[in-house]
Amino acid sequence: MQIELANLLTHTLNGIQYGFILFLIASGLTVILGILDVLNLAHGELFALGAYVAFSVFGYVSGVVVAPEGPVQLGLYLGLALVAAVVAALVLVPVGAIVESVFLRPLYERDEVYQLVLTFGLLLIIKDFNKLAWGPTPVRAQNVYSGINRIPAAELVGLNFPTYKLVIIAVGAVVVVALFWFFDRTRTGRLIRATAIDREMATAIGVSPDRTFTLVFALGAFLAGFAGAIALPQSTANLAMGTNPLVLSFVVIVIGGLGSLRGAFVAAMLVGVLSRWAIWQYPPAELAAPFAIMILVLLVKPDGLFGTWGETA
Amino acid sequence: MELPPRRAALGLLGLLLLVAVPDLAKLSPGLQLRVVHEGVLFGLAAVGLNLLLRHTRLVSFGHAAFFGTGAYTAAVLASHFDVTSMLVLLAAATLFGTLMAGVVGYLSLRHTGLYFSLLTLAFGQLLYAVVIGRGYFGSSDGLAVRPGEANQALLFGVEFGSEVYSVVVYYLTVLVVLLSLLVMWRVANSPFGDALDAIGQNRTRARFIGIPVRRYVLAAFVVSGIYGGVAGGMYGLVQQHVRPEPTLYFLRSGDILFMAILGGFRTLVGPLVGGIVLVFLQDVGRDVTNYFDALTGIVLVALVYGFPRGIVGSLKAGSPFRRRLASLRADPSVAGAWLRGAWNAVVDAAARAGENLRIIIFGVN
Repeated sequence: MQIELANLLTHTLNGIQYGFILFLIASGLTVILGILDVLNLAHGELFALGAYVAFSVFGYVSGVVVAPEGPVQLGLYLGLALVAAVVAALVLVPVGAIVESVFLRPLYERDEVYQLVLTFGLLLIIKDFNKLAWGPTPVRAQNVYSGINRIPAAELVGLNFPTYKLVIIAVGAVVVVALFWFFDRTRTGRLIRATAIDREMATAIGVSPDRTFTLVFALGAFLAGFAGAIALPQSTANLAMGTNPLVLSFVVIVIGGLGSLRGAFVAAMLVGVLSRWAIWQYPPAELAAPFAIMILVLLVKPDGLFGTWGETA
Repeated sequence: MELPPRRAALGLLGLLLLVAVPDLAKLSPGLQLRVVHEGVLFGLAAVGLNLLLRHTRLVSFGHAAFFGTGAYTAAVLASHFDVTSMLVLLAAATLFGTLMAGVVGYLSLRHTGLYFSLLTLAFGQLLYAVVIGRGYFGSSDGLAVRPGEANQALLFGVEFGSEVYSVVVYYLTVLVVLLSLLVMWRVANSPFGDALDAIGQNRTRARFIGIPVRRYVLAAFVVSGIYGGVAGGMYGLVQQHVRPEPTLYFLRSGDILFMAILGGFRTLVGPLVGGIVLVFLQDVGRDVTNYFDALTGIVLVALVYGFPRGIVGSLKAGSPFRRRLASLRADPSVAGAWLRGAWNAVVDAAARAGENLRIIIFGVN
């Protein structure tokens, strides 16, 4: 079989772009899991909520600005779109904080099945809230996508590739670096990790687990919402959009090793690129590819690629 | 094990109700045989899952896989091989459900806790992905379970009208459920069940007193898979059509798990009751409101805070629910105090969340 280089490059870039979206979703889930020890089943719906809120924010913003012309205006438009995505994600912060402090706080001492039941109940409620607020038909933000794609970035190297996907890759890379910097270099990040490793000791040195947990859940919700806002322009926001990312981010965090942020990143890239290649070579593999990758990895390394949170991250 | 007369009477009453469902369904339009039947079948799968949940404390998130395997075994045999005998279809469904549980269990039980849950989930989703991608399984349209000239499965070679067919299959289900509950009761109260309890409480200690932990847990997993396989096979016979979405999708696994908790996972018949209630709730919800998912969600949230022991567990003597009901009967005004207390707790928590966020973002002061 002849594999063209340009084709391979396109599919690889597609995979990386997909991997970054996966990482954005899975990172929130893995941070919550690693520190609060809660598997948040409602995470996928937070992603969907982010996409819906982004739809409204994008709609408002593009109603205000005129259609971009010329390189300077296009650049401004791109910046504005990214700011809008961040604003949309910020809406998720209070949602996350309230979910944690009102609903999850009383359950930490109880059997873990109750946390699962609760977050599953929240999943159903958020899903119907989306239906109530934005209606049952899918919505999309096409003008943001086409607006940014008018910046001819990839054609500079003679490749036909949508600029918006390059933007996702760039933004994803920034978020990855920021997250690693946050957990490795900042005081707050280190205190969070300390809380994850030993809750009592962290309390003894003056960290408030209360505050840490709220922060972590809000951060997780923010990441999910940001992923939703970033993913929206090239697809639609619909009611079923939450479940698939949820299951895929399970796959990602299991491949990476539960609670390891670095593992989640490597796994997201692996799943993103390999599954795009698989779909390109053999289209029916679309749904099964991520799970097949996961099972293969676990047969070789039963604990996932990286160790546990705290010791290595 | 001695059965107290009160409980025996309750069990008999439950059995009578179960037997009377087809006649009751004729009396009231709100109660459909099809819905109750579906609930009983998912409840049966939940009874199987409960063996893991209650005793070994393992939370499986992929039990729809065995339900789906059973259902699809019946469907494949009926539509590709024209097997007409109900009993053969059921036996094959059970067999394949068991095999699937053996494979999935062997591969997932290397882990415990959340890792185990996520692995079972992934295997379930893999199965779903394979089924939905293959024309052999009818892709997303699914397969019919209507073999032979009579266009239905036959019991002892006898052909029934469509009305009678559903009633016959229902009574077959009741029989299977009774047998399964008896077996589960025996298993839970056997030395094997006690060993599983010990494993659930502390694995290391269980290994030290000589329990072959992995083999026992695998055995429990396979047993629970058998329940899923039988229930799935029956489901195929009832619906006469099997699709991937309602049988194999991971939300189904979630449903099965939540049925067990809704009914009361510390009890034997709780999961069955939970299954009937949850399916009924989803079906009625669909008629009442557009937002039936949220309805189920609110019930689940209320369950977590109000009735953590589930329906059957809450009704047991000495439960917190019974105590609260008694104090409510003594003084109805106490309900207002409870509501105020709950509301205050919510407001406090929200205020604390805001305070925490403010401190995180802007620092102290």
